Amino acid sequence: MSRMNSRRVCLVCIAFSTSVATAKLPYVYTDWEHFTVKDGLPNDHVFCVKVDGPRVWVGTENGLARIDKPTGEVWSWQEKDGLPWQVVSSIDVNPKTGEVWIGLFGGGLARFSGGRFDHWHQLNSGLVNDVVYGVTVENDNVWAATTAGASRYNTVTGEWTIYTEKNAPMEEIWNYGVCYNNGKVYLGIWGSGVLEFDVATEKWKDYLDPDGEMEIDLYRDDGVVHVITTGVSYVDNILWVSSYFGMCRYDGRHWRGYYERETGLPSDFGNAVKGRNANEAWFATDKGIGVVTDFASDTWVTYTMDPNTHEGIAVVSRNKDVLEKVRSPQGIPHNYALWVEFDGNDVWVGTSKGLGHAKGTGYYPGLKDRPVHTPSARNLVDARQAN
Amino acid sequence: MKRLVVLSCVALAVCLPSCHKPQERQAQPVVTEDPVQVDAHTAEVVAKINSVSAYEVPDLALQEDEDYAETTEDVRPFRHVEPYKEHFLVQMEYTGPGRAIPEPEHVDTVKVGFIGPIMSTVSVATGGKSHEEPLGIKMLQGARLAIEEANASGGYLRRSIPFELVVSNDNGLWGASGNEIVKMAYKDHVWAILGTIDGANSHIAIRVALKAEITMMNSGDTDPTFIETNIPWVFRCISDDRQQGYLLVDYLYRKLGLDRVGIIRSSNRYGRFGVREIVDGSRRLGHPIILEMAYQLGLDDFSLQLERLKEVDVQAIVHWGDAREGALILNQMRQMGMEQPYFACDRCLLDEFVTLAGPNADGVICTSPWNPTHTDEKYLAFRERFRERFGEEPETYAAHAYDGMDMILWAIQVAGLNRAKIRDVLAHRAQPWEGVTGDIALSAALDDVGEVYLARREGDRWQYYSRQDLGVPREYTPLRDRTEAAMAQVSRQ
Repeated sequence: MSRMNSRRVCLVCIAFSTSVATAKLPYVYTDWEHFTVKDGLPNDHVFCVKVDGPRVWVGTENGLARIDKPTGEVWSWQEKDGLPWQVVSSIDVNPKTGEVWIGLFGGGLARFSGGRFDHWHQLNSGLVNDVVYGVTVENDNVWAATTAGASRYNTVTGEWTIYTEKNAPMEEIWNYGVCYNNGKVYLGIWGSGVLEFDVATEKWKDYLDPDGEMEIDLYRDDGVVHVITTGVSYVDNILWVSSYFGMCRYDGRHWRGYYERETGLPSDFGNAVKGRNANEAWFATDKGIGVVTDFASDTWVTYTMDPNTHEGIAVVSRNKDVLEKVRSPQGIPHNYALWVEFDGNDVWVGTSKGLGHAKGTGYYPGLKDRPVHTPSARNLVDARQAN
Repeated sequence: MKRLVVLSCVALAVCLPSCHKPQERQAQPVVTEDPVQVDAHTAEVVAKINSVSAYEVPDLALQEDEDYAETTEDVRPFRHVEPYKEHFLVQMEYTGPGRAIPEPEHVDTVKVGFIGPIMSTVSVATGGKSHEEPLGIKMLQGARLAIEEANASGGYLRRSIPFELVVSNDNGLWGASGNEIVKMAYKDHVWAILGTIDGANSHIAIRVALKAEITMMNSGDTDPTFIETNIPWVFRCISDDRQQGYLLVDYLYRKLGLDRVGIIRSSNRYGRFGVREIVDGSRRLGHPIILEMAYQLGLDDFSLQLERLKEVDVQAIVHWGDAREGALILNQMRQMGMEQPYFACDRCLLDEFVTLAGPNADGVICTSPWNPTHTDEKYLAFRERFRERFGEEPETYAAHAYDGMDMILWAIQVAGLNRAKIRDVLAHRAQPWEGVTGDIALSAALDDVGEVYLARREGDRWQYYSRQDLGVPREYTPLRDRTEAAMAQVSRQ
């Protein structure tokens, strides 16, 4: 275990306003700080983030980290510190016990509690495979989405249940993402769309691409856009789904597909999704972050970073019409985004080159009448010098 | 202040090796720039990928295909409706920071991974029976020969160090291939991987390759969905069952004028997805498959399936499965008095099929991803070297593995020891790879869309026929014409 003390990043929040007009616009994050190996992370390739009150758990390609927000301390654990395997692909925290459950990419499942790692793998437990992509806590159970099915571990009884094509409607068993909320577990499955597990009845329901073809999406809003899904997020009775072929939203009756060509998505290649509420979801893609900030008006904010200046760029758009473009001294750490996690008004973004923390001072959901930012070149020069 | 201290430590750590052990640095082989002659296009690609930072994406032209997998209009899914979105027409990019990772200083060998079914194990993925080892062993032979030849020519030329093949078996329980890829990527530190054969294991492997960001070259899995995943790290150097299915469907209905075709296939992923384009293509051409029967691997008695097919009076039977079952089914058919023409997949081109089928093999027609009887000098020389090394004939899996490994080795020589750059030079080749199996032209989905063949058993040998030879050239079924199709739709309205 290693520790790095008191990280304090001085960011100058720049008001670029030279605007004269107002409009109904979403909140735009412009105050970002970054965490990398220089700040104590064990590795820059950040696969996942989980906020647990004042603690932020970070899973990387070579270790686990914890950021203590009040002090700014960064703690890290690697294999030499007892972490069972180097690649941490997913994290969840049991709200009742505080135990940290860690999905290990090729190393099984671990629990971090009381300073000790406990380890489950396919040779000592009911974990169906060691290549774990997703983990989530559901009541007293822990779900692991693995490359060969899903496992559900009852932490009270010690009982394991394995779900594959034999007892669940998995056309393929290559599980990717998993989430739990409000009595339902959702699995995003590579080749099998989305599966819904009702905890009360233990019944399954499957959601597949109705056209059944890999090379096309016949109709945008007829179901999940593709059977190769990568992430699921269920909030306010809304299911948000990411895939490598576009994204979608499901309200229990209607599907809505999202593609780069007609929205603020920077790419159709979605690594993960996190829904904030019924109207707002953040999609982590290989070319930045796409945020649908107001479902009804289809208003988006696209967050990218300028690869040359490393400044943040946020573009507000609706139906591909750019309403506003805001530059900030920093933005997401890298455009290859892998994860999103909410932290009250703040947002954490995991990328393949560092972790980003967007501070949501004054955040508001949906849209609000506010001035339209129109940055000047002078602002940007000042911003760079100030940073 | 703490940050300053840490930065100082980092700087010190970087300096220490050079201060204390200069002799070790001198012992490192000298890196030779541009050890391989490349064409101007590849040179430009290399220059671009070498010039970007961890945050930039090189400005490389992305291949755009007019049609996915050269699918013709008449077998296009939902062809009377313009789909909302078409996938796989534009090449995928890798936009991560991997290109900026420097080549490691201390490397004794350049490791390349191999994963294939080479050991006999019971596999859920393959229907509960181990059956692909003969194919996997041939694949390993092809890969090994390519490595040995590269080492005989100087190994990794920039440093004059040998290539090393890191071999893994994937014929285990579902998911085993994932564990193996993880191990190769994170512990063995291989630079690229060749494999696999089984469709299920292949999908598991490429999901891991995507996350670990390592090139995966496939030379033996003909499952069409393998490449339909949008992963920029995945390549395939063998034509798939989609291409073979398109040719067979054209031949069955356009050339032979058949109308009632039945299918018998293995009840595993290979059988299920192998016949998919045949089933869909038959229906789209107005001749739906009359009956499709599946069997469990390892079965000896196929009377149940064959009785059903006999009852529906099919004019021809298509088999999709392994050579053993293919031969047993054929023999049982003939014993039952079923004299219909017998068509099969490329796995029935193996000697095992002919040995078991005996005289019944005569007249059987199999699809083939290549023509092993071609007389190209490059192939003949390879065949001779292969015979000399292993005392056997190369076949489909050996020859394609040789090509796939050769492509990987070329990419390493050109790009250096950087996984992202190895991927880049392969993905942005301007010209088809001139392999021993023929020209390997990659589509925007990085799939081999080269010519496929039908092989007919005539006497004691297989005779291979191209589309042209068969009289069903590709021009016979025009590629999609969007303009005309749109006009026709308007006129219908």
